[in-house]
Amino acid sequence: MRNILIFIIATLILISLPFFTGAYFLHVLMTILIYMTLALSWDIMLRTGQLSFGIAGFFGVGAYASIITFSNFGFSPILSIFFAAGLVALIAAVLGFAVLKLREIYFAITTLALTMVFSVIIRNIPKLTGGASGKVLSNVIFNGDSTKIYWLILSIALITIIISEVFTKTRIQFAINSIRNDEIIAKSSGINIFKYLIFVFIITSALQGATGAIYAQQYGFVSPETTFSLDFLLLPMAMALVGGIYSTWGAVIGAIILGFASEYLKLIMPYGHLIIYGVMIVLIILFLPNGIYGTIIDKMYARKAEAKSKT
Amino acid sequence: MEKSIFRINKTFLAFIIFLIVVAVWNPLALIYGIQRGGLYSLIGLPLALILGIVGILNLAHGDFLTLGLYIGYIFFNLWDVDPLISSIPLFFIFFFIGIGLYLISIRYVLKAGHLNQLLLTFGISMILIEFIKIIWTTRPRSVYTPYASTSIPVGNLSIGIYEFIYPVVAIAILILLQLFLKKTRLGQAASAVGQNPKGAEIIGINTNFVYLMVFSIAFGIIGIAASIMLPRTPVFPLSGNSFTLKSFALAAMAGLGNLKGILIGGITLGVAEAIVQSIPGYSGWSDVVFFGVLIVVILINANRRLES
Repeated sequence: MRNILIFIIATLILISLPFFTGAYFLHVLMTILIYMTLALSWDIMLRTGQLSFGIAGFFGVGAYASIITFSNFGFSPILSIFFAAGLVALIAAVLGFAVLKLREIYFAITTLALTMVFSVIIRNIPKLTGGASGKVLSNVIFNGDSTKIYWLILSIALITIIISEVFTKTRIQFAINSIRNDEIIAKSSGINIFKYLIFVFIITSALQGATGAIYAQQYGFVSPETTFSLDFLLLPMAMALVGGIYSTWGAVIGAIILGFASEYLKLIMPYGHLIIYGVMIVLIILFLPNGIYGTIIDKMYARKAEAKSKT
Repeated sequence: MEKSIFRINKTFLAFIIFLIVVAVWNPLALIYGIQRGGLYSLIGLPLALILGIVGILNLAHGDFLTLGLYIGYIFFNLWDVDPLISSIPLFFIFFFIGIGLYLISIRYVLKAGHLNQLLLTFGISMILIEFIKIIWTTRPRSVYTPYASTSIPVGNLSIGIYEFIYPVVAIAILILLQLFLKKTRLGQAASAVGQNPKGAEIIGINTNFVYLMVFSIAFGIIGIAASIMLPRTPVFPLSGNSFTLKSFALAAMAGLGNLKGILIGGITLGVAEAIVQSIPGYSGWSDVVFFGVLIVVILINANRRLES
């Protein structure tokens, strides 16, 4: 109960933030929330033991689907975001039947290859997508009202957090964990592995597609280079790992830390700030392999266990 | 054992038939494809070696290739060393870079799982690219050597001669690697470690040393690849980047530890790419060939594994 209360208070604070902060801080926050959604959705998939490299691909397809339905078919921006999520869910459902049979690096590489295939397809149908030079909207969503855009981004981030928490609190968690830990045992105890895998795959892909759609609407611009950039794959992964994988708050904390760090570094050293960012990632991987949140939780458990053994 | 040899032969036969068919139908695509595919194999080999034996997915692979291009450029620009000659110092420079990198970082993530390895090499790649951008800026550079632009006329087109060096060097390195893995003590130990690291450790192989050597040798090969491709490649911070993915794709297609498969797969994909590029109006689709073939091969392999 206490956790839910904290969550509600934090949400209320986040919702009311635009009334107190400046435009710049809000912009930083929006970027962080976008990456946080990607990081968390990737982490949810990872909990099944499947290392997906498809984030950037689904993100990009969602972005394009939203922009095209908006500017070519006259959908309203919000409707186009829902359409993008639905389309990506459909694509994930179809592809899932083939790729979810794969395991380990074969799954990883195939999803990465899919990202590339998506981007090449989009580059080569210029009539619809604008080809290599991309597509610019005449008007961004909500006429560029940053408060409303912020609320939109916040809502997708909150939805992702809630889905992630629901997954960790319900039966799904046991199925997912058993698939990751030992698939054969999971199978023999009667879990329909494929059903759970494809369910999680569809949900997380749809979230990534919706995030891409919102991102594209926010900037009013898509191009193969920027929309399918591997940044949308690797930075969320780095955030989840820096915070600590297999938990909701790990990804959230990682996104906050790396997000603010990169923004701050950008200010103090405009050239080469990515070096420090890279060094941070390397050091955390080398010295805190469980991530920041994971390490703290481990320490707390160790202390609790110690206290128990003393009494 | 017999069966696996039989399968390699069948694959090889299919490969030869494919090349002959293309040679009859579209000889130019075959030539361009072999040149391009040779380059893919040359660059894919070190990645496959590291992945197959050390078990590390090196996301910074292409960026180290870029670093090699820049070092080759320095050799040419400051000391007037021909790129082909500088491949020797570059081998050693990269060998030592490999040793350093392994000792300060890679060895700590060997047992940490693929994810941490990926992120570590991603961090390294990020640092590397930023360093390159700070030192050399993003201005593209190139190296001019007269022999690199010789060509022979075929019909009303001309074919570059220099590019044939890629498959030749790739085959030479492959042969040397096979000799190393079969004939030397270290190589035999490396093969054993690649197949079963725990077993190798039990029978007294110093796996850490094997990993270190294999990693460094693979890095040396990156140095050679960079200097070989330098005369025909523009040098800018992202010039090696696209090869990382393609090398991954090759390694996954050939199957882990199958070095010969890299050559066959590389040339097949190179030729397939060249065929698509030769169709007017569809040249932009050539990358789909690469990744499409990759996906199909992985899926077929997976189904075969599930059935058996």
